[in-house]
Amino acid sequence: MTIGDPSLGVGYAHTVPFAVPVMTAPTILLVEDDPPLRTLTARALQENGYIVRPAATAPEMWATFEAGPVDLILLDIMLPGTSGIDLCKAIRQRSTVPIIFISARGSETDRVVGLELGADDYLAKPFSTRELVARVRAVLRRGGIEEQRRAVPSNKAEFDGLTVDFARRELYSRSGAMIPLTGAEFDLLASFLGHPQRVIARERLIELSRARIGDSSDRSIDVLVSRLRRKLAADDKPAPIITVRGVGYMLNAGVARI
Amino acid sequence: MLTRPSLGLLGRIVAIILLTVTIEFAASTLLYERAGEFSIKEDEARRLAEHLVIVQRLVGERPPTERPAIARYLSTDRYTVHWQRTAPEPRALAAELRNMRDQVVEWEPSLANAGLQLQLASPGRHDIVMGEIVLADGTWIHFKMHGLVTGWGLQLNRIVLALVPAIALAVVGGLLVRLTLRPLKTLSQAIESMGKGERVIVHEEGPNEVRNLIRAFNRMQDQISRMIADRTQALAAVGHDLRTPLARLQLRLDGSSDAELRQTSERDIGEMEEMISSVLAYLSGDSDPEAAARVDLAVLITTLVDDMADHGHHVSYHGPDHLEAQVRPHGFRRAINNLIENAIHYGDDVRVTLSDWPGRIVLRVEDNGPGIPTHAMADVLQPFARLDSARSRNTKGLGLGLAIVSQMVEREGGGFTLVNRQEGGLRAEIVLPKTTPDQQ
Repeated sequence: MTIGDPSLGVGYAHTVPFAVPVMTAPTILLVEDDPPLRTLTARALQENGYIVRPAATAPEMWATFEAGPVDLILLDIMLPGTSGIDLCKAIRQRSTVPIIFISARGSETDRVVGLELGADDYLAKPFSTRELVARVRAVLRRGGIEEQRRAVPSNKAEFDGLTVDFARRELYSRSGAMIPLTGAEFDLLASFLGHPQRVIARERLIELSRARIGDSSDRSIDVLVSRLRRKLAADDKPAPIITVRGVGYMLNAGVARI
Repeated sequence: MLTRPSLGLLGRIVAIILLTVTIEFAASTLLYERAGEFSIKEDEARRLAEHLVIVQRLVGERPPTERPAIARYLSTDRYTVHWQRTAPEPRALAAELRNMRDQVVEWEPSLANAGLQLQLASPGRHDIVMGEIVLADGTWIHFKMHGLVTGWGLQLNRIVLALVPAIALAVVGGLLVRLTLRPLKTLSQAIESMGKGERVIVHEEGPNEVRNLIRAFNRMQDQISRMIADRTQALAAVGHDLRTPLARLQLRLDGSSDAELRQTSERDIGEMEEMISSVLAYLSGDSDPEAAARVDLAVLITTLVDDMADHGHHVSYHGPDHLEAQVRPHGFRRAINNLIENAIHYGDDVRVTLSDWPGRIVLRVEDNGPGIPTHAMADVLQPFARLDSARSRNTKGLGLGLAIVSQMVEREGGGFTLVNRQEGGLRAEIVLPKTTPDQQ
């Protein structure tokens, strides 16, 4: 079998990943070189209803990848012999399958490089089962949106003078300074940007923010919105998020993909 | 202990040159003086000789009656001449004038036959010399000479003249020595900047000994930086590698049904992870430098404060909603986080204040805890320092928190100070110089 053979189902698996019936458990390709950790991670995922295909090395990963449909790749970037970053690049060249990086380095440079190369999220060792499942679930759920944004040549959007970089998951001010957001705040903002000038129900926003349990505190969606507002507001004008009484919130600004 | 003030190598060498030149000068002056006790300048001797010969001839040609007049006529301010018939009392030639007589006779040998005598006007006065010569008819000419540059006058002159080359020699010698020692100065500067963590390869130049020293220094520098890099890398690798077994432990615990074990062990894992990441953060300055970027500091701080508040701590923020600065975002975030965590650890009411001052940004984290004993103030900034010297387990982490803050702030060109507040508690203050986006 040659790597990259287009007849082997790569296209099939990933141009229509969400055509798979919801009842079918998603398949996760787990690439981890440490055998006990591989077993433990696989077990944790299986217990949460996922089908896991483990791989220890890059060649094993490719073999599994081509053997059948994969909904998500969980990739340890510190594999012996191959750089996880190169591997991520190679996967991206053929497929848009969601990728979650696992790294023991925990360095921000790694995180940013990984996300820029097209990984969807990042998980730092050590992680708990709850965190692992939350990230997997969030990325799978986000998959649809991510698919959409990958169809667009750029990963950036502009609204109200602010710039959003979806790959790096960062927000920049009018003067180009980074405005730090928490993961939950970024997800909330991304939801607004996905539906500009449309009212989004509170329940839907709660659901969206719950998808990401990395922030485990149970603060209310209203607190989250008010914090995001404070960060988006400029000295001379309020943030473009409007409260629609009894319904939810609305982003009152045009969004331009750049 | 008192240290003797040092002249420095250059000073020492110049002093040595000066000393040798002075000794040489003194010795030669003394020897010269002994050899020519009372010699006069060569041209002075010639003038005297010529004058005497002319006087001898002119006075001798005249008849005796005209002789006093012509003698007066031939007198000048410096040379007075008298004619007399009688011979002077023969006197022994003063020892110190022997040399002068020799000089005169050497120029005009005829004067030797004219019975040239020389005396000092008075013993010890060297500027007036008298003498007689005899004429062909046996009468005598008595002469007196004033203002001879002899004796001390001559010596002073000679001292000044001899000093000029001596001083010039000393200056040239000093400059040459300075030039020779310049590589040493470069070397000491390089060592200084090496102490600050920079790596400077010094060009090998100068005398052999200095070249060897520079070569040894360069080699040592390479070895040290390689050693540090190796250790940093090893420590970082251990840090990374520890996270894999920690991850296993965590996942295994998640499968356990013992809730209490799970909870306590999870806390331990959290603590271990915190230690690893603080060591990695402390090392990150060397192994993984981050680039500076423009960041909204106010938002960065409120994000941290919100997070602390969500975890039930009493932390408040006072300052503008937005304030941009040029910092290394993650390193600086960690620094502020360390300060807030530290404040929460010792106090239960924490105020974070951000102020926009002309030319600088001031960030304060204040708590109502016990503060830091004055004698321990300097120590707490040292890595692995902890206030409780017993290393009791009630403090979290490795004692790198404030050392990391100090390191991160230094990297931004700012200042970090700790003060005990008058009203109690500690104030940690970071002052950042303000830079505009185009300045970096």
